[in-house]
Amino acid sequence: MSTQIDLEELTKIEGHATLRLRVDDGRVEHLEIRSLEGSRYFEGILRGRLYSEASEIATRICGICSCAHCLAAHQAIENALGIVPSAQTHELRRLLNLGESIRSHAAHLYFLALPDYLGVPSTLSIALEQRGAVERAIQLMKLGNDMVRLLAGRDIHPVSVTVGGHLKIPTQEQLTGIRERLEQLRPAAVATAELFNSLPYPELHVKLERFSLYSDSEYALIAGSIRSDEHEFEQRDYGKFVSEYHSPEQTANFVVREGHAYMVGALSRLANSKELLSSDAAALLRAGPVPQGLDNPFLINPAQAIELVQNFDDALAILSNLRPEPEPPPEIWVQAGHGIAAVEAPRGVLWHEYELDDTGHILHANIITPTAQNLRAMEESLAALLPEVVHEGKEAVVAAAEKLIRAYDPCLSCAVHFLNVEWL
Amino acid sequence: MSERQIAVAKKLRVGFYGITGCAGCLESVIFNEDEIVGIFNLVDVQAFPFIKGANSHEDLDVAFMEGLVASPRDLETLKEVRKNARVLVALGTCANTGCIPAYRHYTPLENYEHLIKEKEDDIKDVPPSPIDTHVPVDFAIPGCPPNGKEILEVIKAVAAGKTPRPYTAPVCIECRRKGNYCLLELGKPCLGPITRGGCGAVCPSGGFECWGCRGQTEDANLPAFIELLEQKGFSWDFIKRRLRTFVGQKTPDLEPLRRALEVEKV
Repeated sequence: MSTQIDLEELTKIEGHATLRLRVDDGRVEHLEIRSLEGSRYFEGILRGRLYSEASEIATRICGICSCAHCLAAHQAIENALGIVPSAQTHELRRLLNLGESIRSHAAHLYFLALPDYLGVPSTLSIALEQRGAVERAIQLMKLGNDMVRLLAGRDIHPVSVTVGGHLKIPTQEQLTGIRERLEQLRPAAVATAELFNSLPYPELHVKLERFSLYSDSEYALIAGSIRSDEHEFEQRDYGKFVSEYHSPEQTANFVVREGHAYMVGALSRLANSKELLSSDAAALLRAGPVPQGLDNPFLINPAQAIELVQNFDDALAILSNLRPEPEPPPEIWVQAGHGIAAVEAPRGVLWHEYELDDTGHILHANIITPTAQNLRAMEESLAALLPEVVHEGKEAVVAAAEKLIRAYDPCLSCAVHFLNVEWL
Repeated sequence: MSERQIAVAKKLRVGFYGITGCAGCLESVIFNEDEIVGIFNLVDVQAFPFIKGANSHEDLDVAFMEGLVASPRDLETLKEVRKNARVLVALGTCANTGCIPAYRHYTPLENYEHLIKEKEDDIKDVPPSPIDTHVPVDFAIPGCPPNGKEILEVIKAVAAGKTPRPYTAPVCIECRRKGNYCLLELGKPCLGPITRGGCGAVCPSGGFECWGCRGQTEDANLPAFIELLEQKGFSWDFIKRRLRTFVGQKTPDLEPLRRALEVEKV
């Protein structure tokens, strides 16, 4: 018997997508995640604009991870112009990225993923019964947002980051305020990691290479090489790392080597950088299911929760040393160039690439988002999971599939390459 | 209790929707961290697929729509929501002007041809357009992203049975009130003087020039402003691109304005 399941539309994800499944005699015959987003062609829109305009345009790819887009755009442009930002700029940017990670992980874990494990439609709709969890979620989200507001000038689509530096440097007093709140709220981050360590995750094994930024001096978020257990690439070797192909049966795919899906995101970062964790984050990692289940995509959720503690500890470490000095952004010498940068967005590695002409106008732009890279991994994970639940009926299939897709924290608004394909 | 009082006491049925966009406007609703739980108590949130699993799309008093129309599916969703909602609010710049995605109308085709892997005919595309191109809109909240507090004010006003009032003064008013340096005077191409405020001058306060994401004020003197930017050394091409970036198709026809300026100079 053949059943076609159209899960239309997936809720509690960022952006719009549908899952199509065809099941014949208890076997999954066809499986496809489709974006429902219209095409936006950002890379085309960026052509012809000035280097200094790249970020303001590219951040509109995604409101959820606009800071990551802002940082990747600026760093790729700096790379093209041969500018190396100061140590202070690096620290301020790292802090900005940490703020975005804190708010994004908190929002994703509590509002998008947790309802699946509590069996409720929305965390907010159970606000009154689950006051504690909701308040914790909101406090964490607010702190992350306030960090972004302070460092970027605005909570969504940052404005204070500029080519080579910062347009507005926070005062010592403002940074101290953030440090005190981080200290105060740290137990909420730890409680989140404990909660997500204790949830019952479905058993699943999917062999996927896990890529993330890696640096031997810090838990890498905005600088480093690209690494997995098996491979290491420099950012400039991006062309060797990311190869993209389209097939008529699928949406867009991004692969390390043709035909092989790979995973980016919290689980990959933890797998590659576990030696760099703070002692508490490392203890929380050891105490939970992640070390034994690095091949289980459901464990992206507890990995994000452990990262939340790591984000707190990294931000506190930065703030204990940072004494901001006035530092006007450098004079820019416009010249032709080609720049590449990778930044860890909350859901994985984000690539920006720009080619500039000698007047500083963008000749070519290429942007590859984490979700675009994870799409094949999501499909392969579903293909591994669904045969186990298919006999339990349509509802169980739908619930399991949604839970798995949500664990990946996909952001389909920003999966730009997802959009320029021929639909089935 | 009279029937009227009962009607007022009934919670508003509200829906928050998104079509093609970046989800930033819907985030701006949620990023009212201190009020978000209150919103869910004040009104009956029937639909918010971004954060809610079970969503009803029927009989809505107010629907907030984020995003622009860029696919047949967007159009279908928009029409469905319009049909079911008494009041439709265009939330954010994409919904109001098409925002950056609609800038494609000003971009040569060769700029994005390489992005279209298959034949263009196979891509079911709708030219990027603001939602009022397709359905009537009752209220607009501009901004990319919109000001979260302004969204709250609109929700509260509608819940109280009032018509919210749009902000009409330029960004400069709020910017000056904040004691910021004038970025135009510093030589930055700041669109504050011709742009509708209500954002709290958030960009100039962060050191960054206003790009005009909330659209032009009704009394904007565009020719004078264009002349001012030209005097400051910005090229006509740069000015044109900047003015169109966020306001897209809602920008007045710039070429005749510029020609009028040329004539004046002669």
